[in-house]
Amino acid sequence: MRHVEQVMGTVVSIELADDLPAPRQQELIDATCTWLHEVDARFSTYKDDSEVCRFRDGTLRLEDASADLRLVLDRCADLWRDTDGYFDAYAGGRLDPSGYVKGWSVEVASQRLTAAGSTRHYIGAGGDIRMRGTGPTGGPWRVGVRHPWEADKLSWVLGVTDGAVATSGTYERGAHVFDPRTGKAASGLRSVTVVGPDLALADAYATAALAMGEAGLTWLAKKTDEGYESAAVTDDGRAFTSAGLPILS
Amino acid sequence: MRRSTAAAVGTLTGAALILGVRLSVTPPDAPVATAPVAQEQEEVAEEPEAGGTAEPTEGASKGASKGADKDDDKKDDEKAEEEETGLKAGTYKGKAVQNQYGTVQVTIKVSGGKITAANATAPTDGFSGTINPNAVKTLAAATLKSQSAEVDAVSGATFTSQSYVASLQAALDKAGA
Repeated sequence: MRHVEQVMGTVVSIELADDLPAPRQQELIDATCTWLHEVDARFSTYKDDSEVCRFRDGTLRLEDASADLRLVLDRCADLWRDTDGYFDAYAGGRLDPSGYVKGWSVEVASQRLTAAGSTRHYIGAGGDIRMRGTGPTGGPWRVGVRHPWEADKLSWVLGVTDGAVATSGTYERGAHVFDPRTGKAASGLRSVTVVGPDLALADAYATAALAMGEAGLTWLAKKTDEGYESAAVTDDGRAFTSAGLPILS
Repeated sequence: MRRSTAAAVGTLTGAALILGVRLSVTPPDAPVATAPVAQEQEEVAEEPEAGGTAEPTEGASKGASKGADKDDDKKDDEKAEEEETGLKAGTYKGKAVQNQYGTVQVTIKVSGGKITAANATAPTDGFSGTINPNAVKTLAAATLKSQSAEVDAVSGATFTSQSYVASLQAALDKAGA
């Protein structure tokens, strides 16, 4: 069963490949969407009454914040250290953990689906995807990586069973990623794709590498030790991949 | 840490004072002001962990008292002659220290009572030989393809609700609906 939901300022695509009765699949999809809307309400930086905004404005104290918000803040701090400051939830001057929240919320959604009996599914949120089990054909899920210049073409097709694929690029929303050290728009890399066990980390790593520019190629190579493989395309069209990237074609 | 303190003081007197305190449990075997090298050598021997936490290259460049601090029992080409200021002429190698980038060893040369050369090296043998190649590991060059293929999902830079409609993922969702 497939479903498309508008939430968190983007579009979420869900596919369940389980052999479950249709009403049960519908329940699972509904529960997934309810969770994602809940996250949007609590973590959106565009809603003044969201938990994130109340914390940011000082009306919500850290000790009164939900366990989810505290976890998100912790992970953002970890990522700031782990990426040499290139993943920065305070990059714009005010707290904006959206770069972590989207991947994390999908990660949690997939865990909940699994706990509820769906062992084969994918949830894709705005181009960042979390897969579980095997795809509809019984093999790995086939994930295309969008070509960084040709919107209707793919650069790579990856095969993933349990894992995440996240891509950050400058081609979709223009120069929206900034180098926190220079304050200038990131340049050097056009597109970075990271494949690994956790979508929130894969997404954060892709964004951090994009912000680093070509130095990100070396930084990404170090992440393979932690199980995160990657592919990147430079502004001048050179492509790079890590040795363990699960390329089908 | 003790090395940095010595460097900040920057004088033989400073180093000697620290050593004086440190060596208070054992009787000094030489006058503090005239033979700092000998005493500092003892300090290194007593405190092997100090070498592990110090920054050897910084230490080597900070000056005479700091550099002399690097000396330990491994003395090469030491000459027996005693200079007026108390620093013995010769070449002194510091303790080989391992840090995350490999092994670093500081060498100083003393001539005419002064340190005339100091440098830190990263030996190519042992630990550093296996660490350094990783430091330059990078992604391998690949071919940028432009292909069409049947896929279950598409990963790409985050689209907005508006730009989704033009995306490959939207076409997929439409086809599968």
